[in-house]
Amino acid sequence: MILFIIPVAIVSGIGALLAASLVFAERVITNYGDVEININKGAKKITTRGGGSLLEMLTAEKIFIPSACGGRGTCGYCKVKVLEGAGQLLPTEEPYMDKKERAEGIRLSCQVKLRNDLKIEIPDELLAIKEYVCVCDEIIDYTYDIKQFNLRFENGHQLKYTPGQYVQVLAPRYEKSSDEVYRAYSISSDPADKSKIELIVRRVPDGICTTYLFDYLKKGDTVKINGPYGQFYLRDTDAPIIFIAGGSGIAPIKCILHHMKNTNNNRKSTFFFGTRTTRDLFLVEEIQKFEKVLRQFTFVPIVSQPEEDAKWKGVTGRVTNAAMDYLKKQNDAAQYEGYLCGSPGMIESSIKILTEFGIPEDKIYYDKFS
Amino acid sequence: MAFQKTRYITTSFPRCEAAMKKSPQEKKLERLLQASKFSGCGFLGNDKRNLWEIIDEDASELAKAGKTPEQVAKRMRQLTDIGKKGLGDWVDAGHGLHVSVDDNRGMVPCPWPHHVRCLKRITMVKHVPTGSEMRWSDLNVHLVEQHAFFEGKGSRFRIEPRLLISVIFAEE
Repeated sequence: MILFIIPVAIVSGIGALLAASLVFAERVITNYGDVEININKGAKKITTRGGGSLLEMLTAEKIFIPSACGGRGTCGYCKVKVLEGAGQLLPTEEPYMDKKERAEGIRLSCQVKLRNDLKIEIPDELLAIKEYVCVCDEIIDYTYDIKQFNLRFENGHQLKYTPGQYVQVLAPRYEKSSDEVYRAYSISSDPADKSKIELIVRRVPDGICTTYLFDYLKKGDTVKINGPYGQFYLRDTDAPIIFIAGGSGIAPIKCILHHMKNTNNNRKSTFFFGTRTTRDLFLVEEIQKFEKVLRQFTFVPIVSQPEEDAKWKGVTGRVTNAAMDYLKKQNDAAQYEGYLCGSPGMIESSIKILTEFGIPEDKIYYDKFS
Repeated sequence: MAFQKTRYITTSFPRCEAAMKKSPQEKKLERLLQASKFSGCGFLGNDKRNLWEIIDEDASELAKAGKTPEQVAKRMRQLTDIGKKGLGDWVDAGHGLHVSVDDNRGMVPCPWPHHVRCLKRITMVKHVPTGSEMRWSDLNVHLVEQHAFFEGKGSRFRIEPRLLISVIFAEE
């Protein structure tokens, strides 16, 4: 028996030694020297030691590229345009790229290794993204699966954002997650109050970040966020507005309504807010208050399947059908701008309806988050 | 169509059955099936069986019911498609089945090494005459179809094959 075990142990040992040597060589002996990352045609230049991933280096330089998997190449969020120096697209990146992206040199920054100088392009707004440390001031229960988290900035810091944008919240390692993860949540608060932000979050079953926020985060705990992100904000036009949201999708629209109130913006606007049951409704009275200060604003809460004993007297049906009925009555339906926030299914369905009324796709705004 | 175990087991990498020990890929997969960035609660739950035992035993359940993973996944996907039209509401799918689909933003990757990502969408099915209920994610459908994997017992998205078949093929 021993005669059998000893050779096996020797062979296994040699194999392990070789593997360890390779890892050691890659990390320590292999010296790529300093490399320069030239961002946006010289708008920013970073000189750093080669060897790591582009995402790691950008994060170390406080340039936050959206990423939800911590650089494992599984979320596909951390895309940047590489103009020069990244080599061939890797098999690990291929599933996340369409034809157009491949042709444009889009890469997953977590998969691009820094071996030589790089020229990259990232949206200008990403250069403005910063990390903030906040304290959880208050947690408000709205429904059985929706809570609001009020986060106050530490040390007098303020987040400069455009109403409608979102931040990424870091869920640290905890009992149910051995890794740190970031998830995106829209800001719902009044932008006039710069000392804090409010986030409205719906629990995702088995979701790593929402489980952390709902079951582990306590008042007084520290929360790390970065941002702001997103293209969902009120365009500076006079066009009439149709807002359509479901569930926690109310968040960025509430923020935009605060902004409209603060700037005395009295554009014609109607907000269709849909839930399945009356149990899912929340913030109705708060949104109705905007009707008193925004002269041309109307709020329409809609319940699609009200409980028999709920005595619901409001609009019943799907939020998209209510929006469609409304647009049918508007002579200027094609002039509207659409602002959508909710589930991917609701957004897809809303886009279909709005475009049927002649609203161009480039006048329909929403954040995909993915 | 008979259930071909190797068809699913070898989908992504060979299994070291001859040596009766796990290959490095298998070990990595089992690690990924534990609680991780892929799933907060993991895919194996508190099941004491290893991955292949789970797949084998569930395959036997399917075989007894005369179904293949493809047939089961196809019906699951069909019900999800019916439910999607309800935008979160319950939709009558016929044969006493009511379906509701709830989708969340974002994607969840398959833990197998082939870079498949699924929407975070959950389908709930009620068989009204019996009161039986089932729930699955888009990832469940993929895991059943491509890997014959119904998750381990105690996992939050574990699907009991026998119950699933009794609900989704209620008309048979």
